Amino acid sequence: MLELKGVDTSYGAVPMLRGVAMSVHPGELVCLLGPNGAGKTTTFMTVCGVVRAQRGKVEVMGRDMATLGTENLASLGVGLVPEGRRLFPSLSVIENLRLGYDAVSGRGSNFEAQLDKMGNLFPRIQERLRQVAGTLSGGEQAMVALARALIGEPRLVIMDEPSLGLSPKLIGEYFEITREIHRRGTTILLIEQNAEMGLGIADRGYVLVKGKVAQEGPAKELLSSKAARSLYL
Amino acid sequence: MQGSASLAAPGKAAAAVFAIASQLCGAAFLYLILKVDGGWQVVGLLALLGFGFYLLERLPWIGDYALASFARAPLVAMATAAVIVVAFPFVVGSNTYMLHLLIVAQLYAVLALALNFQLGSANIPNFATGASYGIGAYVSALLAINFGISFWLTLPVAALAATLFGFIIGIPSMRTRDTYLALVTIAFGVVVQQLLNNFSWTGGPNGLVGIPAPSLFGHSFADPLVIFGWKLPSQANFYYLAAALVVVAIVTAHRLHGSRIGLAWNALRADEIAAKAQGINVAWFKVLAFAVDAFLAAFAGTIYAFYVSYISPDNFTFLVSVTIMTMVIVGGMDNIFGVIVGAFMLTILPEKLRAFADYRLLFFGVVIIGFLMIRPQGLFPQRMRRYGGDL
Repeated sequence: MLELKGVDTSYGAVPMLRGVAMSVHPGELVCLLGPNGAGKTTTFMTVCGVVRAQRGKVEVMGRDMATLGTENLASLGVGLVPEGRRLFPSLSVIENLRLGYDAVSGRGSNFEAQLDKMGNLFPRIQERLRQVAGTLSGGEQAMVALARALIGEPRLVIMDEPSLGLSPKLIGEYFEITREIHRRGTTILLIEQNAEMGLGIADRGYVLVKGKVAQEGPAKELLSSKAARSLYL
Repeated sequence: MQGSASLAAPGKAAAAVFAIASQLCGAAFLYLILKVDGGWQVVGLLALLGFGFYLLERLPWIGDYALASFARAPLVAMATAAVIVVAFPFVVGSNTYMLHLLIVAQLYAVLALALNFQLGSANIPNFATGASYGIGAYVSALLAINFGISFWLTLPVAALAATLFGFIIGIPSMRTRDTYLALVTIAFGVVVQQLLNNFSWTGGPNGLVGIPAPSLFGHSFADPLVIFGWKLPSQANFYYLAAALVVVAIVTAHRLHGSRIGLAWNALRADEIAAKAQGINVAWFKVLAFAVDAFLAAFAGTIYAFYVSYISPDNFTFLVSVTIMTMVIVGGMDNIFGVIVGAFMLTILPEKLRAFADYRLLFFGVVIIGFLMIRPQGLFPQRMRRYGGDL
């Protein structure tokens, strides 16, 4: 569903990613780990088409991202949870969700039914639907951002550091929901700094260090691997 | 919101009474402010209006109650509005000055609604609305004068010409944003005005004279309007025409606001990358906003040209664009009703303040600042959309 082959990305003269190769197969939950400045968010931006790869190839849902824009991903069945939530702060929660729903129209199910589903998955936001998104707490915003990505029933969800700024208790709740979404059949690429939590729910993992994939393998192996621990964990 | 739940849920009868009474009060106020001449009377009415908005700001449940009432009895509210709009010229009678002000205010309401798609919904500071307005006026006037084409046919042609102009300024504008975008649109606006001023076929600075009055079913708009034995001055023709255009603009604005397009404009206003992640083609939606703005503005321009029968480049200056922008900001960004109120206020106020002679503009500025201090978000700020059973 997602494949990077020898991808180089740079911001002007500063190289960020060097020969990154990774893949996410249908039904998987893959975790991309790395310390600050390793290029995690750059990977996210490159996958989404916000930043173009200088070399190599990025394929999402079998389509070459060199010819696609970020705005084309939603209709291909890709839900995005960007870093820092990036809700529309002046709009209400329900308007935020509506935008996510409209991004993938013609799926058959109606908005109200999907809204109910999200309400069941995120009881916290159910009572806040009419509230302006900018006034929600950080944890609630994180939930709304995830619900906004999920409400169009995507097949692939890409999340960039969703746990950033959440309290330890909320992180647990958040990862439990992520695991549940995965269990229901959604493929997930989780970009995370919290290795214990991320690998705890993932099938496979990649460790990104200084713009290169330093280690990859099944999540359990990575968690116990000495090399990975010395590199980053 | 929760605390006022009991107050914000009027019964059907109470809602209907409120909808009728509040609109009658609004109409009476409009009539009074159009009618009075003396400086102190105007000041008194403005103070009353300011106090009303002060109450609305301090006691938000009044606004909630009003909204709930109108939502509860929409048919009664709309019927009342229709009756008021139709009956107003009869009340005004032979006072052509009042009718003239109302026509101009309605045309400005359309222009402000047009700009609202950009400035209000998408936060695109377009200073070229005056130019689109001028293009609409000139295209239709030239067609009518040179080729004898009927007003009704020039309307769509002028709108299409202006929409093309909207696309032309919209596409290069996509490379810029915020202040730079504002500069680009100012440049386009000035260029259009200078071209109108310098071409010989537009009449140059002298403009175009002798635009023929439109006619409908054999009735010329230059003739007095006779309805059931009541004789209304010829301006009434244009009053009703402008009112029809306002209705078209309101329906368009309402439909767009509630649709994916209106929501997408709001989204890209806040965060372009997040908007793209929701599948929104940001560049296309921005260009669309330019096109819709130009389309509606051209309608207003056409009616203006045929109403005054004489247009010159001075009618479509940069200052006109700034005025339209002020109407949107004072009235309330992305609120249809607010924008209309803003347009009426900013059209009527400078006229009424003539009583202050040399201090007119100073007083005008003070009044606008005063209202913005009372209602910092605009007279009627943006409201949230409601979906399905969510109430």
